[in-house]
Amino acid sequence: MQELHWGLPVIGYLFLAGVGAGAYTVSATTLLRAGANGRQGDNFDIARYGALLAPLPLIVGTGMIIFELGTFQAAVANGDIGLFFRWINLFLTINMSPMSIGSWVLGVCILASVVYAYTFLSEKSRPDDDNKDLRRKLAWVGIPLGISVAIYTGVMLGAVPARPFWNTPMLALLFLVSSLSTGVAGILLLRALFAHGQDAQAGEATTDLDNSGYMLATSDVKLICLELLAIVLFILFAKLTVGNASEAISIILPGGALATMFWGGVVVIGLVLPVLIELKYVIPTLRNQQPYAMPRGTEIAVCAVILFGGFMLRYVVVAAGQMTGPMGL
Amino acid sequence: MKATTTTISRRELVGKIGKGATLAVAATAVSGQAKAAIAQRPVHYAMVIDTRKCSGCHACSIACKTEFEVPLGVHRSWVEYVEKGTYPNVSRSFLPRLCNHCEEPDCVSVCPTGATYKRKEDGIITVDPEICIGCKYCMQACPYDVRFVNPNTGTVQKCDFCLHRVTKGLEPACVNTCQGRARVFGDLNDPNSEVAKLVATEPVTVLRQEMGTKPNVFYIGADHADENDLRVAGQYVRVDTHRPALERR
Repeated sequence: MQELHWGLPVIGYLFLAGVGAGAYTVSATTLLRAGANGRQGDNFDIARYGALLAPLPLIVGTGMIIFELGTFQAAVANGDIGLFFRWINLFLTINMSPMSIGSWVLGVCILASVVYAYTFLSEKSRPDDDNKDLRRKLAWVGIPLGISVAIYTGVMLGAVPARPFWNTPMLALLFLVSSLSTGVAGILLLRALFAHGQDAQAGEATTDLDNSGYMLATSDVKLICLELLAIVLFILFAKLTVGNASEAISIILPGGALATMFWGGVVVIGLVLPVLIELKYVIPTLRNQQPYAMPRGTEIAVCAVILFGGFMLRYVVVAAGQMTGPMGL
Repeated sequence: MKATTTTISRRELVGKIGKGATLAVAATAVSGQAKAAIAQRPVHYAMVIDTRKCSGCHACSIACKTEFEVPLGVHRSWVEYVEKGTYPNVSRSFLPRLCNHCEEPDCVSVCPTGATYKRKEDGIITVDPEICIGCKYCMQACPYDVRFVNPNTGTVQKCDFCLHRVTKGLEPACVNTCQGRARVFGDLNDPNSEVAKLVATEPVTVLRQEMGTKPNVFYIGADHADENDLRVAGQYVRVDTHRPALERR
């Protein structure tokens, strides 16, 4: 058994940062493009839920990686106060290390997402209220920031040739698409948990809610299909080479130690299952213009499996990268 | 008069061409700077390990442990036992391991705080314990698995060629103690040094050359075999290492 230098805290961080960055990006694009129909103020509820969601996983995830730092663990073990805040050193310098650039981008992204969430905090938030200008500025900032955070996690793993499983540009793309998809799922989940109850009382607003639900579900179908494509390319390019990458990828191929976890957890439960359920409700609307209505329970279940799949993807990738290495010596 | 002017201008022209040529040479030199930098470093420390002289006695591992008070379970330097073949065609060889102090170290380029760096004066790669945060990124990046987190300090440590000894003119502790004189340490820039002579005259190899890190630890007669290499030959191979996982990466 190999040592996993990066364990659950890092896996959890990669997943949570992905959800937060994805939610911020999706919220910002929805606010600016109004769900691609160009009418200002449409789908404002999606933007609001995304904005309120984003800082939470970003901050919790960032807190988790601090637990993985050797100095923090030694500080806990030895009661050395000075070591608790050793991570400040990350922000006393900047260099070309993906982790250095990533830390700065992550720090800025958290700050921006907190202020962005603040502009949506009031339940009376409207597309044309007093916070309008600040909100739109932070949305413009948020798209590149969210995408950068989502990509950097993949670049950070991909930058080390000593880990052939990670050392591919496809990983950054895979993590980006997964971030956006889990971000959408996070927003859908929040809406399913909190918005349905309000609208059942309001009665009339249900159509608006279903419209935005349809937009989210269709986006999610596209993102998950893209993610499946990214996974196919990720495996193909590793398998088609000879040597380190080809040997490393076999850990998730049939017969490999992580094959069940990958194909069962990531592909079937995390991607294929939710996309099939979403298609069942999306296709009638798409082809026959029937009203879109996904039951609340189904919506929650779909979001849960997508989020589970996102977590499993980080788990399998982080573990597989450390369980495999270059061949020979 | 006119002719004179022409002559002068020709002279100037020749001069200019000469200057241009000088500049071009300079430019070529700059483009080859990366390679030249190795030679330009005042001291270029390297180690040659003659595995034919190694008996696997672990004196180097112990000397290193003693020198740095390395905690239990982690190692700056250790010896691997490579056992292969089926009776009666068998072999057992020893492979002393330590940081390779690579010319192109991946660990240095990924360090987010600049805590790990390659010294400009002698090429030794070391970790500043006051700056390191223990993020373990360098441990992921090192193809040789020579780095570890010291459980007492939480910072990453590894072999530093006994920086505190070599800067005072002493040999590293492992070299000093080696019973068979298998480990040789010195300055590659000095053509009369034993390491320079060995690297020039012996068939030396480095570990995981394909990673492109250009190690500064050279081996003579090393058996690089591991399970992956000889799987195709259907040979039994067992590598005993002293990493906590008891297994090479």
